[in-house]
Amino acid sequence: MGEVSITASCVIRQHRIYRNGELLWEASQDLNLQDFLRAAYDRFSGQYPKFHKMDHLCKLGWLAAEVLLKEPLDYPPAEVGLILANKSASLDTDLRYYDTVKEFPSPALFVYTLPNIVMGEISIRHGFKGENAFFTSDHFDTELVMSYVQQLFDENAVGAALCGWVEVMNEQYEVILHLVEKEKQGLPMNAENLQINKL
Amino acid sequence: MAGEVWIGGGGVICGIGDNLSACIDAFRNMATGAATMEYLSSAHKGTYPVVEVRADNATLAVRAGMPAHISRTALLSKIAAREAWDSTGLGELRNYRVGFVSANTVGGMDKTEDFFADYLKDPQSGQLNQVVNHECGSITELVADSLGIRHHVTTISTACSSGANALMYGARLIRNNMVDVVIAGGTDALTRFTLNGFNTLMILDQESSRPFDDTRKGLNLGEGAGYVVLVKDELKELIRTPWCKLSGFANANDAYHQTASSPEGVGNYLAMKGALEMSGLKPEEIDYINLHGTGTQNNDSSEGLAIERLFAPHYPPVSSTKSFTGHTLGASGGIEAVFSALAVREGYLYPNANFGTRMKEIPFTPVTAFSEGNKVHHVMSNSFGFGGNCSSLIFSIG
Repeated sequence: MGEVSITASCVIRQHRIYRNGELLWEASQDLNLQDFLRAAYDRFSGQYPKFHKMDHLCKLGWLAAEVLLKEPLDYPPAEVGLILANKSASLDTDLRYYDTVKEFPSPALFVYTLPNIVMGEISIRHGFKGENAFFTSDHFDTELVMSYVQQLFDENAVGAALCGWVEVMNEQYEVILHLVEKEKQGLPMNAENLQINKL
Repeated sequence: MAGEVWIGGGGVICGIGDNLSACIDAFRNMATGAATMEYLSSAHKGTYPVVEVRADNATLAVRAGMPAHISRTALLSKIAAREAWDSTGLGELRNYRVGFVSANTVGGMDKTEDFFADYLKDPQSGQLNQVVNHECGSITELVADSLGIRHHVTTISTACSSGANALMYGARLIRNNMVDVVIAGGTDALTRFTLNGFNTLMILDQESSRPFDDTRKGLNLGEGAGYVVLVKDELKELIRTPWCKLSGFANANDAYHQTASSPEGVGNYLAMKGALEMSGLKPEEIDYINLHGTGTQNNDSSEGLAIERLFAPHYPPVSSTKSFTGHTLGASGGIEAVFSALAVREGYLYPNANFGTRMKEIPFTPVTAFSEGNKVHHVMSNSFGFGGNCSSLIFSIG
């Protein structure tokens, strides 16, 4: 059974975007989240109009995957797994949707009132069709995510997996997204390397 | 994957009948179910017709042999599952390794809504026992316990294809010799949560739904439950009257949108094609398609175009029984599996109610009258859910 390791990471925190620990881009701290996301989209993509329909959770996850997967992955679609977690589920959007209910319930917001939609958006963009799961917990439960991902590899359910933390509530957000592969050069998959507190 | 999987029986409760034979009578008499809501309490009462099971929970509880305070989703499930089992003639459940694979999408949401009515007024009030069966799996467990099923109990919740996926999963349990028989299908009760959700998506019709009609405006929500009993080949001789075989099934995903089908029906096409491949049948051998046919612009167009792509120029008779039952969500795949399997046994073709005008984009029209004694050897049943989750089943003569 080959060793599983983290072969790439993306962190989005405090209007800064890192890839493999290196600061790629930084936006003004004065920007609100919506403007930051738009600026990041212009910087790292600009070719995916559907981005503008997404809620903040999806935009964050989608952007991190965009940065992480500069080169397309070389795995069959069904062999890429996606294991994400956060604290607030889709509550940020749920509340925005609920605000519209009094006037006219918004279909555009309604279809984002589930946290796992972010995995759908990433999957559609990159053509992934592997196993996926989304967990909610107060803190990034690295033990849970690690053991779940390890299990997928042990059962040969995946050849690669994206895993991590995609959290947003109002203006507060944090994204930590990893690419995990087998028998490749990378960092060992452990709590410290998953959490990336140092950046 | 060894052995045939037989349909040994089936049971249904829905807005057009308390049991399967009552439903067939409703088709025969063109008695559709959409009406003003009577049992569900909603601000939209006067706006959207629904297809309700015409009984309050106390009445259903007596029939189900379960307490009246539990979720309507469980009560409906138990009644249909019991009818399905009794129709097989297999005798005591405990004589077999029995699986219960039950789909639903709302779980005990009906009771949760009752809880919140009190709780939101005062956080110190509200009966907490109303939320303990909120989760979808809890409904299945309640019914499995009540039926005495222990070997394999699981819940599938993949939106509107849930019920069909329950049959697929059940068939695989049998083919892998994990159980001898499986009661497979689905259940869902009407709730405010689902009504408000579909209202937000703007796909509810204010009149009776008109599936596969050019003037269609949306769906009517319904409620109910439907189960078939899947039986392994070795037990076939014990079944009172084997209905047919489950000869093919497939599931595919559109990967297109949270709730909408891709315009050309990619997932629909792949599911139907996959089911045909497993059954070893050619498209022209299908004698009837029980459509997903919700009556929304999007579904009927995507499904119709996918059928055209796969079946042209040999279009079999098609119809949407949702024009009678409404869209029962997690139950629909189970209910329609029962109708489809019975169609093989009896040579039934079911009518598509409220049809008047052919859809511009497709060259065929649905069957509009009930008939029996037809040559119906192979029936396809489609169930296409939100999330692009598309499933197709094929039932074949034994």
